[in-house]
Amino acid sequence: MLSLIVFLPLAAALVLLALPRLGDSIARWTWVAVAALDLALVVGVWLAYESPAVGQLAFEEQAPWIPGVNSSYHLGVDGLSLPLIAMTAVIFLACAVYALREPDRPRLQAALFLFLQSVSMGLFVSADLILFFLFFDLSIVAMYFVIAGWGHNDAGRSAMKFFLYTFLGSLALLVGFIGLYIAADPHTFDMVELTNQAPLNGSFMAGGLVLAAILMGLAVKTPTVPFHTWLPPAHTDAPAIGSAVLAGVLLKMGTYGFVRIAMPMLPEAWRAWAWVIIVVGIISVVYGALVALAQTNLKRMIAYTSVNHMGYIALAVGAAGLVADDTAQARSIAVTGAVTQMVSHGLITGALFLLAGVLQDRASTYDMDAYGGLAGPAPRFAAFFAVGAFASLGLPGLSGFIAEFQIFTGSIAAAPVTAVALVGILLTAALFLRALQRIFTGPTRGRSTGFADLRPTETWSVGALLFLSLLIGILPRPLLDIIEPAAEAVVELVGR
Amino acid sequence: MTGFQAPNVEWLTLSPLLVVFLAAVVGVLVEAFVPRAQRYAVQVGLSLAAMVGTLVASLVVFARLSPTADEAELGRVVAAGAVAADGPAVFTWVLLSVLGLLSVMLFAERKVESGVLTFAGQAAALPGTEAEREASTRGLSHTEVFPLMLFAIGGMMLFPASNDLLTMFVALEVLSLPLYLLCGLARRRRLLSQEAAMKYFLLGAFSSGFFVYGLALVYGYAGSMGFAQIAAAVSADTGSRALLLGGIGLMSVGLLFKVGAAPFHAWTPDVYQGAPTAVTAFMAAATKVAAFGAMLRLFYVAFGGNRDDWLPMVWAVAILTMVVGSVLAISQTDVKRMLAYSSIAHAGFLLTGFLGIRSLDEVAPGGLTGVSAVLFYLTTYGFTTMAAFAVVSIVRDAGGETTHLARWQGLGKESPLVAGVFAFLLLAMAGIPLTSGFTGKWAVFAAATAAGAWPVVVVAVLMSAVAAYFYVRVIVLMFFAEPVGDGPSVAVPSALTTVVIAVGTLVTLVLGIVPGALIELLGNVGVFIR
Amino acid sequence: MELYTPILALMVLALGFAVFSVVVSSLTGPARYNRAKLDSYECGIEPTPQAHGGGRIPVKYYTVAMTFIIFDVEIMFLVPWAIYFDELALFGFLAMLLFLVNITIAYVYEFKRGGLDWD
Repeated sequence: MLSLIVFLPLAAALVLLALPRLGDSIARWTWVAVAALDLALVVGVWLAYESPAVGQLAFEEQAPWIPGVNSSYHLGVDGLSLPLIAMTAVIFLACAVYALREPDRPRLQAALFLFLQSVSMGLFVSADLILFFLFFDLSIVAMYFVIAGWGHNDAGRSAMKFFLYTFLGSLALLVGFIGLYIAADPHTFDMVELTNQAPLNGSFMAGGLVLAAILMGLAVKTPTVPFHTWLPPAHTDAPAIGSAVLAGVLLKMGTYGFVRIAMPMLPEAWRAWAWVIIVVGIISVVYGALVALAQTNLKRMIAYTSVNHMGYIALAVGAAGLVADDTAQARSIAVTGAVTQMVSHGLITGALFLLAGVLQDRASTYDMDAYGGLAGPAPRFAAFFAVGAFASLGLPGLSGFIAEFQIFTGSIAAAPVTAVALVGILLTAALFLRALQRIFTGPTRGRSTGFADLRPTETWSVGALLFLSLLIGILPRPLLDIIEPAAEAVVELVGR
Repeated sequence: MTGFQAPNVEWLTLSPLLVVFLAAVVGVLVEAFVPRAQRYAVQVGLSLAAMVGTLVASLVVFARLSPTADEAELGRVVAAGAVAADGPAVFTWVLLSVLGLLSVMLFAERKVESGVLTFAGQAAALPGTEAEREASTRGLSHTEVFPLMLFAIGGMMLFPASNDLLTMFVALEVLSLPLYLLCGLARRRRLLSQEAAMKYFLLGAFSSGFFVYGLALVYGYAGSMGFAQIAAAVSADTGSRALLLGGIGLMSVGLLFKVGAAPFHAWTPDVYQGAPTAVTAFMAAATKVAAFGAMLRLFYVAFGGNRDDWLPMVWAVAILTMVVGSVLAISQTDVKRMLAYSSIAHAGFLLTGFLGIRSLDEVAPGGLTGVSAVLFYLTTYGFTTMAAFAVVSIVRDAGGETTHLARWQGLGKESPLVAGVFAFLLLAMAGIPLTSGFTGKWAVFAAATAAGAWPVVVVAVLMSAVAAYFYVRVIVLMFFAEPVGDGPSVAVPSALTTVVIAVGTLVTLVLGIVPGALIELLGNVGVFIR
Repeated sequence: MELYTPILALMVLALGFAVFSVVVSSLTGPARYNRAKLDSYECGIEPTPQAHGGGRIPVKYYTVAMTFIIFDVEIMFLVPWAIYFDELALFGFLAMLLFLVNITIAYVYEFKRGGLDWD
């Protein structure tokens, strides 16, 4: 089942590549159909899912791959990965719908995104470090071509910066994985086995070094301060759907790595360095928000809020490393919040980037000062953007609130000092309200005149994402029921 | 004086070498007696037959490898102690046979030059003279390149299998001399080609001198040329250490020159650029295999006992090589020069794997040793780089191959398939997963980390990222830049070059997806006999 | 040390002869110089083409020189083999035959391809 979910888009991508004479609209609709089918499969998995035991996975598939080094083709899901798979499928479907009006090489674009979808799905379900790394690196390559091939402005340069930064990060990750492999006895790349072994418990120095390498790789991808500098240019120059996938799915690969690899496999080192992670998280939150506040380019601003939102996740998983007897429940809430935040941020930021793409499409600029009173000519656009902005700043009733509330409840209980990061929420609120005010209120002027409102493809794609965010905000239970056992398991594993 | 005992020669075990050398000698006779018109067909047929023959023979020898008295070691020492036919040696024989077969095909390509070889019509005719024009109108070709190549292959196969210093030196010369000559035989840009040959010869001869000097010192230390006796002397620690260290140092100069490691890399870009592209492909792929095979044997078998003495040197050389190769490649504007610097960087990564030396008892049976990691990397790199140079040889304009990067702009629009294949090969060299480049890099990193050389691995990681920059830059050029002027054109090659590119690309892909079998095989055979 | 006495004597003899001939010939011989005689490597004939005029030396000289060296080396191997011919027996004979055949093949190639044609 999982293999089908992973390789269905890839097969479709190959078919699209192999048929150069295919009509543009057939290619576009094929993409939508395949993405929808993949989502349907994920929903099927979701419905049949039952939480596995601690350190185990559901829907496991295993086949020998490189037996000489104990690396196998091993897939599986648990409460950490299932929500992310679902979110990935949703975002890619939204992108497929959004791109139904794409004029530029739609067949190649569809193939590339289907490939990217395979890679992203594969990363979240892989239970082998080599497999994980393979998908991690391929996501970089695919995203590079998305930005360089379909971006605007200085796309080549931004794409290159993105590639080099994240590629270097991935190599650091590889070194960390090799470290884990060598420390394990018997040597293995299997995540389940490594989680059970926690091979570097008891060797402070080696554990610290391996964790440093892994954290560096994940921090670049997440990104946290100070490894975030590739993100704003990449987002600014990427196409709308590229940005949506980059922020919605690819950034989660970093944070997913924290809860899937770093915490359960290196519990001792994680506990030892938890404060560093918390501090990095707090800095990311505050710094990301402050810099976002200073932006006049809307897309750049949203990009910096991603740094801010990813900071919350770092904060929560860091706080989960401060092991004390009486805070187990609080830490589990923090991790639950972190995973919820991954899903929530994917949906919300995906929607916001798609909306920012509308600006580029209509008026070729993201400069907030070039607009004004946009609510007049484009009421639907304004409404959607407002919902997205409120969701992002954490308004109750939307998914951002559920996530951030849990993160802060858990973190502050484990370490009261994390309350400092609440400033971030205040700043986010300020910057979104200011952006809303600049773009949508006042007399219609500048590029706003003659601005066409959302088209059906845009309405449906963005609407679906925002609707899910709303749904999670109102009825969080189904999602939390899946995440909570896994979060408790992570907390238990970190406590070893 | 004791009576002379005729040595026992194991003909079957030596048959891969004998086939190649015999074919080379027959090739010389063909040049002497066969009329000019038929030489091409005869030579190509002979060379292909020889390479297939040696491949089959190597595989037979490989299949017959059996443990010696000591359980862990496969293979045996043959030809009165001169040649060690053990796992690593026979593996390089197989590898070199395949690479040699592909090289013969590249050498035999005639379609891109409209009916003549890509080698000089008459090497003795001065560039730009009437004699050269005449040779060109008469459609002359030097079919001597085939026997020359066979001699080089023979030397390369002997090099990593040699079990004493003298055999090693002879093999070094047998592989080098034909290469010097081949480098100077380009049909186009002949002055550049001749300059390359001259530089390669002078520097190569110089480095051979170092090698012989070192050899003499080591002989003075150990009192024997045989690796086993040297290893015994090293572990007994008798004799003057100054002699030994001086010998090791001087011999490394000779070997590091051949693999193109910094600071002995200066010839690489000039020679790779000037030599005919088929020869460059052959050199880049096969010479590295042979030289690294020999280096592994010399250092692991003969000098394994005092590795604490020479490991720091290899650390420094590995780091320097990776940095020089990766950083200087950034500023290159010529594809062949860029690939040359990339090959220097790859030599650095190979040296990183070379650092994975550990005692036998530290390695789990079938585990990843330095030897198997390096051999695996050589396999991946050999096929990738050969296919890459084969692609370079078919991107042309009116003046022959067009290697300036600016002329490659927009190749993706002109010929998406060729550009796509080249992009894939570049991604493989950068070490992206799903290509053999990744698995290779992973193997050497793992081996080096296991042996505690993690600082070198950190540098290797940094330099991989730097290297990724210039590979990706070429991809950008090909796909996202507008062509200048007429733009490049892709000559339609004959089946020969097509096969080389296809095989190279396929191996790159297959070893990227399912490297398991080969890694396991190397884990089993990657042990030297001593 | 006694082993080396004859060699030492030979060296002294050779040195003495060289010095003697140079000194005596310069004292007794007639000295009529011309341009040809003053040239380096003088042999009494003016070299063509002029070495200092950027002239190139025909490649023929090199092939001859190399052929000479090959046969020179061949002798080096043949002499010790001939001395120990009895002891080396059939193996030595076949090995030497192989060596000679190889050398001859190279020679045949050179000959057939006109490497020894002077014009």
